[in-house]
Amino acid sequence: MRRQKILFIKQNYILRILKTFIMAGLFAIALLLILVHKIDIGVFSGISKGVFYITTPIIHTITLPAKGLSYAYKKTSEIINVYKENQRLTKENDELFLLKDNIKALKAENALLKNMLHHIDIPQIKSRTARVISENGNAFAKSLILYLGKAHKEIKPGYAVLTPNGMVGRIDIVSGKYARVILITDINSKIPVVSEKSRDRGILTGTNTNELRLIFTPLLSELQPGDLLVTSGIGGGLPPDIPIARIKEIKMDSITATPLFNTSKIEIVKILLYDITPSNKTLKDLE
Amino acid sequence: MKNSIKNFYIEFSAFLTPLISILALVLLLSVPRSSDYWNFLRQSPFYAGIYFWQSQRPDVFNIFSAFILGIFADVLGSVPIGINIMTFLVLYIISVQFSLRFNIKKFSYSWLLFITALLATLIFKALIVSILYRQIIPINLWAIELLLTCALYPLLARIYIWVERRYIHLEERYEKIQQ
Repeated sequence: MRRQKILFIKQNYILRILKTFIMAGLFAIALLLILVHKIDIGVFSGISKGVFYITTPIIHTITLPAKGLSYAYKKTSEIINVYKENQRLTKENDELFLLKDNIKALKAENALLKNMLHHIDIPQIKSRTARVISENGNAFAKSLILYLGKAHKEIKPGYAVLTPNGMVGRIDIVSGKYARVILITDINSKIPVVSEKSRDRGILTGTNTNELRLIFTPLLSELQPGDLLVTSGIGGGLPPDIPIARIKEIKMDSITATPLFNTSKIEIVKILLYDITPSNKTLKDLE
Repeated sequence: MKNSIKNFYIEFSAFLTPLISILALVLLLSVPRSSDYWNFLRQSPFYAGIYFWQSQRPDVFNIFSAFILGIFADVLGSVPIGINIMTFLVLYIISVQFSLRFNIKKFSYSWLLFITALLATLIFKALIVSILYRQIIPINLWAIELLLTCALYPLLARIYIWVERRYIHLEERYEKIQQ
Protein backbone atom coordinates (compact mmCIF):
# COMPACT_ATOMS: atom_id res chain seq x y z
CA MET A 1 0.00 0.00 0.00
CA ARG A 2 1.56 3.32 -1.03
CA ARG A 3 1.52 6.01 1.56
CA GLN A 4 1.93 9.74 1.53
CA LYS A 5 4.88 11.42 3.16
CA ILE A 6 4.55 11.73 6.90
CA LEU A 7 5.14 15.08 8.44
CA PHE A 8 7.76 15.01 11.20
CA ILE A 9 7.86 17.78 13.73
CA LYS A 10 11.21 18.73 15.24
CA GLN A 11 10.99 19.02 19.00
CA ASN A 12 13.34 20.79 21.27
CA TYR A 13 14.29 19.75 24.78
CA ILE A 14 11.92 22.16 26.59
CA LEU A 15 8.99 21.10 24.43
CA ARG A 16 9.69 17.45 25.24
CA ILE A 17 9.71 18.14 28.99
CA LEU A 18 6.52 20.16 28.65
CA LYS A 19 4.90 17.26 26.79
CA THR A 20 5.88 14.83 29.55
CA PHE A 21 4.34 17.16 32.14
CA ILE A 22 1.12 17.47 30.11
CA MET A 23 0.95 13.68 29.80
CA ALA A 24 1.43 13.23 33.55
CA GLY A 25 -1.16 15.95 34.21
CA LEU A 26 -3.77 14.29 32.02
CA PHE A 27 -3.12 10.96 33.73
CA ALA A 28 -3.58 12.63 37.10
CA ILE A 29 -6.87 14.20 35.93
CA ALA A 30 -8.12 10.81 34.69
CA LEU A 31 -7.20 9.19 38.02
CA LEU A 32 -8.90 12.00 39.91
CA LEU A 33 -12.04 11.61 37.79
CA ILE A 34 -12.19 7.89 38.59
CA LEU A 35 -11.76 8.56 42.30
CA VAL A 36 -14.38 11.31 42.52
CA HIS A 37 -16.89 9.48 40.32
CA LYS A 38 -18.45 7.63 43.23
CA ILE A 39 -18.73 10.78 45.37
CA ASP A 40 -21.03 12.19 42.67
CA ILE A 41 -19.81 15.78 42.59
CA GLY A 42 -22.19 18.02 40.65
CA VAL A 43 -19.57 19.28 38.17
CA PHE A 44 -18.72 15.79 36.94
CA SER A 45 -22.32 14.67 36.60
CA GLY A 46 -22.80 17.94 34.66
CA ILE A 47 -19.99 16.99 32.23
CA SER A 48 -21.54 13.52 31.81
CA LYS A 49 -24.95 15.00 31.15
CA GLY A 50 -23.52 17.52 28.67
CA VAL A 51 -21.70 14.92 26.56
CA PHE A 52 -24.69 12.59 26.78
CA TYR A 53 -26.97 15.45 25.64
CA ILE A 54 -24.83 16.00 22.52
CA THR A 55 -24.28 12.38 21.48
CA THR A 56 -27.64 10.70 22.05
CA PRO A 57 -29.68 12.62 19.43
CA ILE A 58 -26.98 11.73 16.85
CA ILE A 59 -27.19 8.04 17.79
CA HIS A 60 -30.97 8.25 17.59
CA THR A 61 -30.84 9.70 14.06
CA ILE A 62 -28.36 7.07 12.89
CA THR A 63 -30.48 4.23 14.27
CA LEU A 64 -33.60 5.26 12.32
CA PRO A 65 -32.72 3.65 8.93
CA ALA A 66 -31.37 0.53 10.65
CA LYS A 67 -34.56 0.28 12.68
CA GLY A 68 -36.64 0.60 9.49
CA LEU A 69 -34.81 -2.33 7.92
CA SER A 70 -35.10 -4.37 11.09
CA TYR A 71 -38.86 -3.63 11.23
CA ALA A 72 -39.33 -4.72 7.60
CA TYR A 73 -37.47 -7.99 8.27
CA LYS A 74 -39.50 -8.65 11.42
CA LYS A 75 -42.81 -8.02 9.66
CA THR A 76 -41.88 -10.30 6.76
CA SER A 77 -40.96 -13.17 9.07
CA GLU A 78 -44.19 -12.59 11.02
CA ILE A 79 -46.24 -12.90 7.82
CA ILE A 80 -44.43 -16.13 6.90
CA ASN A 81 -45.10 -17.67 10.34
CA VAL A 82 -48.64 -16.33 10.80
CA TYR A 83 -50.43 -19.74 10.78
CA LYS A 84 -48.01 -21.36 13.23
CA GLU A 85 -48.20 -18.34 15.50
CA ASN A 86 -52.00 -18.38 15.38
CA GLN A 87 -52.13 -22.02 16.53
CA ARG A 88 -49.71 -21.31 19.36
CA LEU A 89 -51.68 -18.26 20.50
CA THR A 90 -55.02 -20.13 20.47
CA LYS A 91 -53.52 -22.81 22.72
CA GLU A 92 -51.98 -20.21 25.00
CA ASN A 93 -55.27 -18.29 25.15
CA ASP A 94 -57.15 -21.36 26.40
CA GLU A 95 -54.60 -21.81 29.19
CA LEU A 96 -54.77 -18.13 30.09
CA PHE A 97 -58.58 -18.21 30.45
CA LEU A 98 -58.24 -20.89 33.12
CA LEU A 99 -55.48 -18.94 34.82
CA LYS A 100 -57.52 -15.72 34.74
CA ASP A 101 -60.31 -17.27 36.84
CA ASN A 102 -57.77 -18.53 39.38
CA ILE A 103 -56.12 -15.08 39.60
CA LYS A 104 -59.49 -13.38 40.11
CA ALA A 105 -60.31 -15.67 43.05
CA LEU A 106 -56.85 -15.21 44.58
CA LYS A 107 -57.03 -11.43 44.16
CA ALA A 108 -60.37 -11.27 45.97
CA GLU A 109 -59.04 -13.46 48.77
CA ASN A 110 -55.87 -11.35 49.01
CA ALA A 111 -57.88 -8.11 49.26
CA LEU A 112 -60.04 -9.62 52.00
CA LEU A 113 -57.03 -10.80 54.03
CA LYS A 114 -55.26 -7.46 53.61
CA ASN A 115 -58.37 -5.70 54.85
CA MET A 116 -58.62 -7.97 57.89
CA LEU A 117 -54.93 -7.44 58.77
CA HIS A 118 -55.06 -3.63 58.15
CA HIS A 119 -52.20 -4.07 55.71
CA ILE A 120 -50.54 -0.86 54.41
CA ASP A 121 -50.02 -1.14 50.67
CA ILE A 122 -47.12 0.43 48.77
CA PRO A 123 -48.18 3.55 46.84
CA GLN A 124 -49.79 3.10 43.44
CA ILE A 125 -46.94 2.91 40.95
CA LYS A 126 -47.11 5.04 37.81
CA SER A 127 -45.13 3.96 34.79
CA ARG A 128 -43.92 5.31 31.44
CA THR A 129 -42.79 3.41 28.37
CA ALA A 130 -39.64 4.26 26.43
CA ARG A 131 -37.89 3.01 23.31
CA VAL A 132 -34.35 1.61 23.35
CA ILE A 133 -32.22 3.45 20.81
CA SER A 134 -28.84 1.99 21.60
CA GLU A 135 -27.15 -0.64 23.71
CA ASN A 136 -23.64 -0.76 24.98
CA GLY A 137 -22.53 -4.14 26.20
CA ASN A 138 -18.83 -4.87 26.12
CA ALA A 139 -16.42 -6.56 28.49
CA PHE A 140 -16.39 -3.58 30.82
CA ALA A 141 -19.94 -2.22 30.96
CA LYS A 142 -23.54 -3.06 30.15
CA SER A 143 -26.00 -0.27 29.46
CA LEU A 144 -28.88 0.91 27.27
CA ILE A 145 -29.82 4.34 25.96
CA LEU A 146 -33.53 5.19 25.98
CA TYR A 147 -35.54 7.84 24.18
CA LEU A 148 -37.97 9.28 26.73
CA GLY A 149 -39.74 11.92 24.65
CA LYS A 150 -42.11 14.11 26.63
CA ALA A 151 -41.84 11.90 29.72
CA HIS A 152 -38.23 13.02 30.38
CA LYS A 153 -39.31 15.51 33.05
CA GLU A 154 -40.82 12.76 35.21
CA ILE A 155 -37.91 10.32 35.00
CA LYS A 156 -35.21 10.42 37.66
CA PRO A 157 -32.00 8.44 38.19
CA GLY A 158 -32.60 5.25 40.17
CA TYR A 159 -36.00 4.36 38.70
CA ALA A 160 -36.51 0.68 37.79
CA VAL A 161 -36.62 -0.30 34.11
CA LEU A 162 -38.66 -3.36 33.15
CA THR A 163 -39.52 -5.61 30.23
CA PRO A 164 -42.55 -7.94 30.25
CA ASN A 165 -40.23 -10.67 31.64
CA GLY A 166 -38.88 -8.68 34.57
CA MET A 167 -36.46 -6.01 35.65
CA VAL A 168 -33.55 -5.12 33.33
CA GLY A 169 -31.85 -2.27 35.14
CA ARG A 170 -32.02 1.20 36.67
CA ILE A 171 -31.89 4.70 35.25
CA ASP A 172 -28.39 6.15 35.60
CA ILE A 173 -28.42 9.52 33.79
CA VAL A 174 -31.26 11.61 32.37
CA SER A 175 -30.19 14.33 29.95
CA GLY A 176 -32.51 16.07 27.52
CA LYS A 177 -35.01 13.58 26.14
CA TYR A 178 -32.67 10.63 26.67
CA ALA A 179 -31.67 8.40 29.55
CA ARG A 180 -28.96 5.83 30.18
CA VAL A 181 -29.85 2.59 31.93
CA ILE A 182 -27.33 0.50 33.86
CA LEU A 183 -28.33 -3.12 33.27
CA ILE A 184 -28.48 -5.61 36.14
CA THR A 185 -25.72 -7.57 34.35
CA ASP A 186 -23.32 -4.61 34.69
CA ILE A 187 -20.51 -5.18 37.17
CA ASN A 188 -21.55 -1.97 38.95
CA SER A 189 -25.14 -3.12 39.58
CA LYS A 190 -26.21 -4.32 43.01
CA ILE A 191 -29.90 -5.04 43.69
CA PRO A 192 -31.41 -6.25 46.97
CA VAL A 193 -33.47 -9.34 46.17
CA VAL A 194 -35.48 -12.04 47.90
CA SER A 195 -36.29 -15.58 46.80
CA GLU A 196 -39.95 -15.82 45.81
CA LYS A 197 -40.29 -19.28 47.41
CA SER A 198 -38.06 -19.38 50.48
CA ARG A 199 -38.00 -15.58 51.10
CA ASP A 200 -34.23 -15.73 51.68
CA ARG A 201 -32.62 -12.37 51.05
CA GLY A 202 -29.44 -11.49 49.18
CA ILE A 203 -27.77 -8.96 46.91
CA LEU A 204 -27.78 -9.66 43.18
CA THR A 205 -24.62 -8.38 41.50
CA GLY A 206 -23.68 -8.17 37.83
CA THR A 207 -20.51 -9.68 36.40
CA ASN A 208 -20.57 -8.15 32.89
CA THR A 209 -21.44 -11.62 31.57
CA ASN A 210 -24.85 -13.21 31.10
CA GLU A 211 -24.62 -14.61 34.62
CA LEU A 212 -25.39 -12.82 37.88
CA ARG A 213 -24.04 -13.57 41.34
CA LEU A 214 -26.12 -13.74 44.49
CA ILE A 215 -24.13 -12.62 47.52
CA PHE A 216 -24.79 -11.99 51.22
CA THR A 217 -27.31 -14.83 51.49
CA PRO A 218 -28.09 -16.33 54.93
CA LEU A 219 -26.00 -19.35 55.95
CA LEU A 220 -28.98 -21.66 56.29
CA SER A 221 -30.90 -20.44 53.27
CA GLU A 222 -33.24 -22.81 51.45
CA LEU A 223 -32.50 -21.59 47.96
CA GLN A 224 -32.86 -24.09 45.11
CA PRO A 225 -31.81 -24.00 41.45
CA GLY A 226 -34.72 -22.68 39.40
CA ASP A 227 -36.05 -20.41 42.20
CA LEU A 228 -37.25 -17.02 41.03
CA LEU A 229 -35.56 -13.99 42.58
CA VAL A 230 -37.66 -10.85 43.01
CA THR A 231 -36.80 -7.38 44.27
CA SER A 232 -37.06 -7.11 48.03
CA GLY A 233 -38.01 -3.42 48.13
CA ILE A 234 -35.54 -2.86 50.96
CA GLY A 235 -34.12 0.65 50.90
CA GLY A 236 -37.20 2.04 49.17
CA GLY A 237 -35.48 2.63 45.84
CA LEU A 238 -37.27 -0.20 44.07
CA PRO A 239 -40.78 -1.60 44.40
CA PRO A 240 -40.97 -5.10 45.91
CA ASP A 241 -41.75 -8.35 44.07
CA ILE A 242 -40.51 -7.51 40.58
CA PRO A 243 -39.08 -10.67 38.97
CA ILE A 244 -35.41 -10.15 38.23
CA ALA A 245 -33.54 -13.48 37.78
CA ARG A 246 -33.70 -17.23 38.21
CA ILE A 247 -31.17 -19.22 40.25
CA LYS A 248 -28.98 -21.30 37.95
CA GLU A 249 -26.48 -23.04 40.16
CA ILE A 250 -25.72 -23.30 43.86
CA LYS A 251 -22.17 -24.20 44.89
CA MET A 252 -20.44 -24.22 48.25
CA ASP A 253 -18.96 -20.78 47.74
CA SER A 254 -21.15 -19.12 45.12
CA ILE A 255 -24.70 -18.84 43.81
CA THR A 256 -25.23 -17.90 40.18
CA ALA A 257 -28.42 -16.70 38.51
CA THR A 258 -29.53 -15.92 34.98
CA PRO A 259 -31.38 -12.71 34.04
CA LEU A 260 -34.88 -12.97 32.59
CA PHE A 261 -34.13 -10.96 29.44
CA ASN A 262 -31.99 -11.03 26.35
CA THR A 263 -30.33 -7.61 25.93
CA SER A 264 -30.24 -7.67 22.14
CA LYS A 265 -34.00 -8.27 21.97
CA ILE A 266 -35.09 -5.38 24.18
CA GLU A 267 -36.93 -2.78 22.11
CA ILE A 268 -39.41 -1.12 24.44
CA VAL A 269 -39.16 -0.86 28.21
CA LYS A 270 -41.35 0.28 31.07
CA ILE A 271 -40.01 2.74 33.64
CA LEU A 272 -41.57 2.64 37.10
CA LEU A 273 -41.91 6.05 38.72
CA TYR A 274 -41.28 4.71 42.17
CA ASP A 275 -38.95 5.96 44.85
CA ILE A 276 -39.92 6.00 48.48
CA THR A 277 -36.38 6.35 49.81
CA PRO A 278 -36.69 8.43 52.98
CA SER A 279 -35.03 11.85 52.87
CA ASN A 280 -32.04 12.62 55.11
CA LYS A 281 -34.30 14.71 57.38
CA THR A 282 -36.79 11.85 57.78
CA LEU A 283 -33.97 9.42 58.53
CA LYS A 284 -32.65 11.77 61.24
CA ASP A 285 -36.13 12.11 62.74
CA LEU A 286 -36.55 8.34 62.78
CA GLU A 287 -33.20 7.91 64.53
CA MET B 1 -4.25 38.30 7.50
CA LYS B 2 -6.35 36.38 5.02
CA ASN B 3 -3.65 33.71 4.77
CA SER B 4 -3.34 33.35 8.54
CA ILE B 5 -7.12 32.89 8.90
CA LYS B 6 -7.00 30.32 6.12
CA ASN B 7 -4.07 28.55 7.81
CA PHE B 8 -5.92 28.51 11.13
CA TYR B 9 -9.03 27.11 9.49
CA ILE B 10 -7.01 24.38 7.74
CA GLU B 11 -5.20 23.43 10.96
CA PHE B 12 -8.38 23.38 12.99
CA SER B 13 -10.31 21.26 10.48
CA ALA B 14 -7.30 18.91 10.15
CA PHE B 15 -7.28 18.53 13.94
CA LEU B 16 -11.03 17.83 14.03
CA THR B 17 -11.02 15.29 11.18
CA PRO B 18 -9.58 12.32 13.17
CA LEU B 19 -11.96 13.01 16.08
CA ILE B 20 -15.01 13.26 13.84
CA SER B 21 -14.08 10.15 11.83
CA ILE B 22 -13.64 8.08 15.01
CA LEU B 23 -16.85 9.36 16.60
CA ALA B 24 -18.85 8.80 13.40
CA LEU B 25 -17.78 5.15 13.31
CA VAL B 26 -18.51 4.72 17.02
CA LEU B 27 -22.01 6.16 16.61
CA LEU B 28 -22.60 3.91 13.60
CA LEU B 29 -21.64 0.87 15.67
CA SER B 30 -23.97 1.97 18.48
CA VAL B 31 -26.99 0.96 16.39
CA PRO B 32 -28.71 -1.97 18.17
CA ARG B 33 -28.16 -5.35 16.53
CA SER B 34 -29.50 -8.79 17.43
CA SER B 35 -26.08 -10.29 18.09
CA ASP B 36 -24.09 -10.22 21.32
CA TYR B 37 -20.80 -10.24 19.40
CA TRP B 38 -21.71 -6.91 17.83
CA ASN B 39 -21.41 -5.36 21.28
CA PHE B 40 -17.74 -6.22 21.48
CA LEU B 41 -17.07 -4.12 18.39
CA ARG B 42 -18.54 -0.90 19.72
CA GLN B 43 -15.26 0.45 21.08
CA SER B 44 -13.12 -0.79 18.19
CA PRO B 45 -13.13 2.53 16.27
CA PHE B 46 -11.70 4.24 19.36
CA TYR B 47 -8.79 1.80 19.75
CA ALA B 48 -8.07 1.51 16.03
CA GLY B 49 -8.49 5.26 15.52
CA ILE B 50 -6.17 6.33 18.32
CA TYR B 51 -3.48 3.91 17.15
CA PHE B 52 -3.90 4.75 13.47
CA TRP B 53 -4.00 8.53 13.72
CA GLN B 54 -1.19 8.70 16.25
CA SER B 55 1.11 6.47 14.23
CA GLN B 56 0.25 7.87 10.78
CA ARG B 57 -0.59 11.52 11.43
CA PRO B 58 0.86 12.65 14.77
CA ASP B 59 0.64 16.25 13.52
CA VAL B 60 -3.18 16.22 13.64
CA PHE B 61 -3.72 13.85 16.57
CA ASN B 62 -2.25 14.55 19.97
CA ILE B 63 -2.76 13.46 23.57
CA PHE B 64 -5.64 15.92 24.03
CA SER B 65 -7.51 14.21 21.19
CA ALA B 66 -7.16 10.89 23.05
CA PHE B 67 -8.38 12.61 26.23
CA ILE B 68 -11.48 14.04 24.50
CA LEU B 69 -12.29 10.65 22.95
CA GLY B 70 -11.95 9.12 26.40
CA ILE B 71 -14.65 11.43 27.79
CA PHE B 72 -17.02 10.42 24.97
CA ALA B 73 -16.28 6.72 25.49
CA ASP B 74 -16.90 7.01 29.23
CA VAL B 75 -20.22 8.74 28.77
CA LEU B 76 -21.49 6.51 25.96
CA GLY B 77 -20.47 3.41 27.88
CA SER B 78 -21.47 3.27 31.50
CA VAL B 79 -18.07 2.93 33.10
CA PRO B 80 -17.07 5.58 35.65
CA ILE B 81 -15.67 8.71 34.01
CA GLY B 82 -11.90 8.41 33.82
CA ILE B 83 -11.45 4.73 32.99
CA ASN B 84 -11.59 5.07 29.22
CA ILE B 85 -9.66 8.34 29.39
CA MET B 86 -6.83 6.57 31.17
CA THR B 87 -7.03 3.57 28.83
CA PHE B 88 -6.83 5.75 25.74
CA LEU B 89 -3.90 7.70 27.18
CA VAL B 90 -2.09 4.38 27.73
CA LEU B 91 -2.84 3.29 24.17
CA TYR B 92 -1.65 6.68 22.90
CA ILE B 93 1.64 6.43 24.80
CA ILE B 94 2.23 2.84 23.64
CA SER B 95 1.61 3.82 20.03
CA VAL B 96 3.97 6.82 20.38
CA GLN B 97 6.69 4.47 21.64
CA PHE B 98 5.99 1.97 18.84
CA SER B 99 6.15 4.59 16.14
CA LEU B 100 9.48 5.82 17.51
CA ARG B 101 11.03 2.37 17.70
CA PHE B 102 9.55 0.30 14.88
CA ASN B 103 8.89 0.56 11.17
CA ILE B 104 5.18 1.27 11.03
CA LYS B 105 5.07 2.16 7.36
CA LYS B 106 4.45 -1.44 6.35
CA PHE B 107 0.82 -2.34 7.05
CA SER B 108 1.50 -5.90 8.28
CA TYR B 109 3.97 -4.59 10.90
CA SER B 110 1.57 -1.85 11.86
CA TRP B 111 -1.20 -4.41 12.34
CA LEU B 112 1.00 -6.66 14.50
CA LEU B 113 2.04 -3.71 16.63
CA PHE B 114 -1.60 -2.68 17.00
CA ILE B 115 -2.44 -6.17 18.33
CA THR B 116 0.39 -5.87 20.87
CA ALA B 117 -0.61 -2.35 21.88
CA LEU B 118 -4.27 -3.32 22.25
CA LEU B 119 -3.41 -6.40 24.31
CA ALA B 120 -1.40 -4.27 26.74
CA THR B 121 -4.16 -1.63 26.83
CA LEU B 122 -6.97 -4.09 27.52
CA ILE B 123 -4.96 -5.83 30.26
CA PHE B 124 -4.45 -2.39 31.83
CA LYS B 125 -8.17 -1.57 31.52
CA ALA B 126 -9.24 -4.94 32.95
CA LEU B 127 -6.90 -4.36 35.90
CA ILE B 128 -8.28 -0.89 36.64
CA VAL B 129 -11.92 -2.03 36.38
CA SER B 130 -11.20 -5.13 38.50
CA ILE B 131 -9.54 -3.02 41.20
CA LEU B 132 -12.33 -0.44 41.13
CA TYR B 133 -15.14 -2.98 41.45
CA ARG B 134 -13.11 -5.49 43.49
CA GLN B 135 -14.17 -8.15 41.05
CA ILE B 136 -12.10 -9.77 38.31
CA ILE B 137 -13.29 -9.07 34.76
CA PRO B 138 -13.61 -12.45 32.99
CA ILE B 139 -10.68 -12.86 30.60
CA ASN B 140 -12.83 -14.44 27.86
CA LEU B 141 -14.86 -11.22 27.52
CA TRP B 142 -12.01 -8.86 26.84
CA ALA B 143 -10.22 -11.55 24.80
CA ILE B 144 -13.23 -11.58 22.43
CA GLU B 145 -13.12 -7.78 22.29
CA LEU B 146 -9.40 -7.96 21.49
CA LEU B 147 -9.80 -10.56 18.74
CA LEU B 148 -12.74 -8.87 17.07
CA THR B 149 -11.11 -5.44 17.20
CA CYS B 150 -7.88 -6.82 15.73
CA ALA B 151 -9.83 -8.58 12.99
CA LEU B 152 -11.68 -5.37 12.17
CA TYR B 153 -8.54 -3.19 12.19
CA PRO B 154 -7.74 -3.47 8.44
CA LEU B 155 -11.25 -2.31 7.55
CA LEU B 156 -11.20 0.55 10.05
CA ALA B 157 -7.69 1.56 8.95
CA ARG B 158 -8.87 1.58 5.33
CA ILE B 159 -11.69 3.98 6.28
CA TYR B 160 -9.28 6.23 8.20
CA ILE B 161 -6.85 6.22 5.25
CA TRP B 162 -9.69 7.31 2.99
CA VAL B 163 -10.65 10.08 5.43
CA GLU B 164 -7.05 11.23 5.66
CA ARG B 165 -6.59 11.40 1.89
CA ARG B 166 -9.97 12.99 1.29
CA TYR B 167 -10.13 15.60 4.05
CA ILE B 168 -6.63 16.43 5.26
CA HIS B 169 -4.77 18.39 2.63
CA LEU B 170 -1.14 17.62 3.19
CA GLU B 171 0.04 19.79 0.29
CA GLU B 172 -1.37 22.96 1.83
CA ARG B 173 0.47 22.26 5.08
CA TYR B 174 3.73 21.85 3.18
CA GLU B 175 3.05 25.16 1.47
CA LYS B 176 2.55 26.83 4.82
CA ILE B 177 5.86 25.55 6.15
CA GLN B 178 7.69 26.65 3.03
CA GLN B 179 6.41 30.25 3.38
